[in-house]
Amino acid sequence: MATKPETDTPVFETPGRFEKLYNEYEGTKWSRVAIYGGLSMYLLWTLFPVYWMVTGSLKTREGLLTFPPQWIPLQMEISNYVVLFTQRPEFWRFILNSMIVTIATTIIATFLGACAAYGFVAFDWPYDLDFHLPFYILSTRFMPPIVVAIPIYVIFRDIALVNTLPGLILLYVMFNVPFVVWMMKGFFDEIPDSLVESAMIDGHTHLGAFFKIVLPLAKPGLFASGIFAMIITWNELLFALIITHSADAATLPVGLSSLITQYTIQWELISVAGTIAMIPVLIFAFIVRDELVRGFSMGVDG
Amino acid sequence: MSEGTNTVSENPIHASASEGSRKERLALWADEHLAKLLVIPTLVLLFSMTFYPMIRAIEMSMYQYTAGQRIGFVGLDNYVNLFYDSTWRNSLMVTAWYVFLSVTVQFVVGFVIAVLLNRKLKFRGLIQTLILIPMILAPTVIALVWRLLYAPGGLLDFIFYPIVGGNVGWISDSSIALYSLILTEVWQWTPLVVLVMLAGLQSVPDHLKEAAVMDGASRLRIFWDITLPHMKSLIVLILIIRVIDSIRVFDKVYILTRGGPGESTNVVSMEMYRAAFEFTNWGAAASMAISLLLIVLLIAITFVKIAEVKF
Repeated sequence: MATKPETDTPVFETPGRFEKLYNEYEGTKWSRVAIYGGLSMYLLWTLFPVYWMVTGSLKTREGLLTFPPQWIPLQMEISNYVVLFTQRPEFWRFILNSMIVTIATTIIATFLGACAAYGFVAFDWPYDLDFHLPFYILSTRFMPPIVVAIPIYVIFRDIALVNTLPGLILLYVMFNVPFVVWMMKGFFDEIPDSLVESAMIDGHTHLGAFFKIVLPLAKPGLFASGIFAMIITWNELLFALIITHSADAATLPVGLSSLITQYTIQWELISVAGTIAMIPVLIFAFIVRDELVRGFSMGVDG
Repeated sequence: MSEGTNTVSENPIHASASEGSRKERLALWADEHLAKLLVIPTLVLLFSMTFYPMIRAIEMSMYQYTAGQRIGFVGLDNYVNLFYDSTWRNSLMVTAWYVFLSVTVQFVVGFVIAVLLNRKLKFRGLIQTLILIPMILAPTVIALVWRLLYAPGGLLDFIFYPIVGGNVGWISDSSIALYSLILTEVWQWTPLVVLVMLAGLQSVPDHLKEAAVMDGASRLRIFWDITLPHMKSLIVLILIIRVIDSIRVFDKVYILTRGGPGESTNVVSMEMYRAAFEFTNWGAAASMAISLLLIVLLIAITFVKIAEVKF
């Protein structure tokens, strides 16, 4: 409303009058109660399960399923965190594998995707390929992963990439590149050609101008698509489950899913591992909130 | 291929390249082919990791396998068998119901919350940030949290005790388990609908609504005749995305029910996972993969045609 262009103002002489008219029923007390009540309920419903897991990691196993429930953990069993790693030492490996795979995938996918996006934005391709190819790249995201997971397992088995970190990284780069291309395309579109042209007159090669001028300018985009790739990779289960079968390459989600197959479910350890798995994504996600929504909706929210 | 920039000739490096050093000649060569050099690695990767595996899947679907070993060419037999396979048909039905119900509920709830949020509110920014949490968490973690909530004697049993008077088999009763899965899916993805719809609601130009207010239109009328038509393509797109994303559900089913009890939550991804990796029946699994791909394609095309959406 504050940024309403001049031409609109003659409709209402007094600023703010329009909001009053349009949002009239906010004025009544009961509707305001209903709105705030509805939103609070929704917020509670959305956040409670997360609270339940984090506090669950501080309860004893009996405390997790008492009747009535322990709304607040009674005895703060921080020792659960130690027990997980003494009982299941391979969890160190799962976390390490997850970190290696996530960091490598994020860097490679963001770099490759940014290069490809610039290749489409900065050059004219014959046969409208600069339109069709990015569209093909994006459309691979519509394909259900299980469709390629089965043949990829067979291919990886033939070239000895099963149960290796490089194999997993290769898969995840493929998984993340389409999104990076699509997102970076939007960022590069907004960088004026004249910047690159003047850098080339100054003696840079085009490639040099891309690295020294274009990429630094697109840093917010690189950052956002990198974090999106990071979250997707850190969370992925299906490919990791299929491609890995031991602590040599298994990631944290695979480790988490292995906790449930035991005869007695150790809920306090599951809560600990789940809480640990939540931390990195929570930290990074809030930095790039708006770009995340664009990522999850494949660029719809433009 | 015509390069976008025509100022290259003024570049000293390009001017002196013919007598330049190896390094300079390499730089010139890189610039000449820059467009291809930038794009080809990504294309090769995507081609080898999506297109090529699909071709392999088509090939695999035409062979019979026993214990992971290829034993003979069977043509389209795997597809014919699939047609009569009641487990596969059931998994398609389960998936269809899962997708339909969860997307519908997500959309309705998400839209209502977006409308509630679309006004001057004190904590709107904070709410928009907090409701991001479910969609960034790993489906594995989410499924584990909900498994704890659904556990016998768990929190949901406590809440429903006064009504039901006993434990509910949230994930152990074959008539309830699928709805518990849907609830989990709704919990995770409603926020995306909220945030996208909120962005859509805010993109409706003010002058349109102002003109309608001047003409004395009611709020409901404005919503129906101005806001909704304006958001049509955004609504269709969020529906496509949610439908196509829910068809691939695997993690939640794998953690919460493994497709059971019986086959009541045996979604297509789960059925394919079992065919391929439990029964090592690669031919059948590959034919399922190709069928699923065709179904997804068909759905996407139908959606796009109905709504005349332009990407």
